[in-house]
Amino acid sequence: MGLSRNVSLWQGLKYQGQGPMLTFILHRIGGLGIVVFVSVHLLASYFGGEVGIFLNSVYEHWAFQLVVFFCALFHAINGLRIVILDLWPKLIEHQREAIWIEWAVFLPLYAMCVLVILRTALSG
Amino acid sequence: MEVTLKIFRYNPEKDKKPSYKTYKLEAVETDRVLDLLEKVKGYQDGTLSFRRSCAHGICGSDAMRINGMNRLACKTLVRDVGTRITVEPILGLRVIKDLIVDMEPFFDNYKKVMPWFINNDPPPEKERLQSPEARLRFDDTTKCILCACCTTSCPSFWGSDEYLGPAAFVNAHRFIFDDRDQAAAERLKIVNEVMGVSRCHTVFNCTLACPREIQITKAIGELKMALVTGVLS
Repeated sequence: MGLSRNVSLWQGLKYQGQGPMLTFILHRIGGLGIVVFVSVHLLASYFGGEVGIFLNSVYEHWAFQLVVFFCALFHAINGLRIVILDLWPKLIEHQREAIWIEWAVFLPLYAMCVLVILRTALSG
Repeated sequence: MEVTLKIFRYNPEKDKKPSYKTYKLEAVETDRVLDLLEKVKGYQDGTLSFRRSCAHGICGSDAMRINGMNRLACKTLVRDVGTRITVEPILGLRVIKDLIVDMEPFFDNYKKVMPWFINNDPPPEKERLQSPEARLRFDDTTKCILCACCTTSCPSFWGSDEYLGPAAFVNAHRFIFDDRDQAAAERLKIVNEVMGVSRCHTVFNCTLACPREIQITKAIGELKMALVTGVLS
């Protein structure tokens, strides 16, 4: 008797893990975003013709690029943080500061890219 | 001040689904969440079930999710969590009743890392001496009280209770880095299995949830490095 041990996605997302948990979730979303981008890219090459042109227009769209760039950049920088902490476990004591540095690197880089993508999109 | 306590309720003999019940009670900001639960059980609803023992942060019986995060009810003050408090059982273990979960899978994983001292040399006349520096190497991980706050905050454990979990790694670390112990290689082999340290995604939920402030992710990191380099110093 008793309730199942299964933890739903919603229950997991509601866990108040603070900053590190947010980076963990964004890392997974980032990974999925990269898979979607690469898949659309491959499918466009595979099908060619009208389907290929349509898929090209999807992943070349500025909104798609904003999302994909967020995913790829965050996944890369967060991955780098985890690799560094894994290689030098002593630094794990400063994991909070490591996350601040991660955001300090990510936000200006992403803001710059958003500016470039939007300027290109708006200038036609 | 008036505190609103929303508590997860589930009685397997009566309820098909769990529900939440809300209780209002008077408290002061230095009351602990455990005090509030005791007040509810004593004066408002005697059917409420939860585990508690020492009530001083040593026995680790009253681990629960308080406002969405794993904590010990006896170490959490009202002033730290506010006047609207939600109390739920820890995740990833079967709920038996209300806030009581089945701890067996947790202790099964704990036992897998052989959390006892192994040294086959004949015992010396007095104690087995150790330098203060060597003792300091695993000092942090001796503090574990097996409350399960860390393991049940870990997304990898939510996915599978076969995953050994942070508490088992902490206790493996405690013996692996003890220079008097002789079974480090065997324990490293256990933590290197499929459901071992490689499933740790460095989420840090365990470190933040630990009521003894053990640097759990750091201990797991040291285990990973020991596996890669084979060096324990």
